[in-house]
Formats: sequence, structure tokens, C-alpha cells
Amino acid sequence: MTKVRVLLGLAGVALVVGLWFALTAPADALQGEYSRIINIHVPTIWVAYVAFVVTSVGSLMWMWKKTPKWDRLAASSVEVGVLFTGISLLTGMIWGNAVWGTAWDWGDARLTTTAVMFFVYLGYLALRNSIDDPKVRAKRSAILGIIAVVQVPLTYFAVNLFRTLHQTQSIRPDGSTMPDEMIVAMMVNLGAFTLLYVALLVARIEVAVAEEAASARDTALAGDAVKPPKLDEVRDV
Amino acid sequence: MSDTAVVIVTFLVSYGLIGSYAVYLHLKLRKAKG
Repeated sequence: MTKVRVLLGLAGVALVVGLWFALTAPADALQGEYSRIINIHVPTIWVAYVAFVVTSVGSLMWMWKKTPKWDRLAASSVEVGVLFTGISLLTGMIWGNAVWGTAWDWGDARLTTTAVMFFVYLGYLALRNSIDDPKVRAKRSAILGIIAVVQVPLTYFAVNLFRTLHQTQSIRPDGSTMPDEMIVAMMVNLGAFTLLYVALLVARIEVAVAEEAASARDTALAGDAVKPPKLDEVRDV
Repeated sequence: MSDTAVVIVTFLVSYGLIGSYAVYLHLKLRKAKG
């Protein structure tokens, strides 16, 4: 069994355990059943933050070492991060629609910075798709990967910097606004989704390696098809 | 739709998106390996 399958299997088991904790933890007195959505909403955005920081590290290392493995790491991490940001936005909108009475508010700092972060990293993926030369692609996306990471602390601290609709962090150094059972459920899911991120990242890197090998194979075949003319053939003309 | 049903659908859609991405990666890998 491959490393990726083992990791995905472990992540799957962890998600099932996390789901059990999420569904058996007590519901919030005001939010009711909707409070369970926090067990997906928070872990997915946490994983997205980690993914984008990993991208910036990969981008910096590519700038320094210029080896393809760092470019692969950076690009693969963005793809997984965008998926998790999208899920966090979606679950947050469903929760907000029920608890706030609105799915979206452009005046809210956290919502807007998260949406901007989502589209910037979608742009990163579009940028990569638009460039054929691997070195140019790696350089330009590394520059964007390093600059774009500034959005991670900006998004995280948006709730402290601008007091708008989104509540501040539930777990703070001076204590928590949540009961212990809900914190345990969220932490179990945080661990499960982090494991899932690692599994998907390793799987995405494996795909990138296989695609590069296939591309090299195709290029070699294309080159073989074009043979230089033989001297005798040229003389006949 | 009841609150519980909305929450269950939210979980299913989220896990479904992640599962779809895993299948997409699997198919991409199979295609690249020929």
C-alpha cells in the first residue's frame, strides 16, 4: 500500500471520529444545531491558513534553491488551500444565514478579507495555468506566493482590527467562550482536517511528479519525430 | 427543511467536495501514469 493511501485512510478514519464528536457535542443554547457547523468551518480555514503559509515557505525555498520540488510543494499546497477556503466560506454562509440572518455582508472585515484571499489564490492557480515555461511559471508564482501570504495574518486578525459582524476568536489566551465539550470536538476535527491536508498535499505532489514525467516523455517523443535530413536526400533535391 | 437536516446536508456537501477532489487527484494520477 502506498504512503498516500495510508495517509488518506488515516485521515478518513480521523474524519469519522471527528464527525462523531461534532454530532454528539452539546448544541449551543442560542444557535441550536447550527453550532455544529463550527466543526467544519473553523478546521477548514485553519488548514487553509497552514496551506498558504506552506506555499510561502515553498516559494521562498524555490527562490533560494531553484529546485522543482519546492515549486511543486508551493503549487500543490495552494490547490488544497483553495479547496478548504471554499468549504469554509460555504459553511460560514450557511451558518450566517441561520444565525446572523444573512449569508454575506461585504461590510464585514473577516468575510471580505477571506473572499479576497480566496480569489487571490484562485488567481495564483490561473497564473500557473497561463505559463508554459516551467522556470518562468515557478518564478512568477513564487513571487505571488510570497506576497500573497500577507493575507493570512490580515484575515485572521481582521476580527480584532475591525469590529464588524464576525465574532472574535472563541479560544483566546485569557480563556474560552465555549464549553469544554465543544472545544474538544473542535480540536479533534482540527487534528483530522490537518491530517487530511497532509494526505491531500502528498497526493497532489505525487500527481505533479507523474505529470512532469509524462510531459518529459511526450517532449522526448515529439523531438524524436523530427529527424534531421540525411545528406543523400538533400543532394537528390 | 429542519435545522438538523440543514446541518447534515452541510456536512455531506463538505465531505462530498473533499471526496470529489480526492477522486479528481486519483484520476489525474492514473492519466499521467498512462
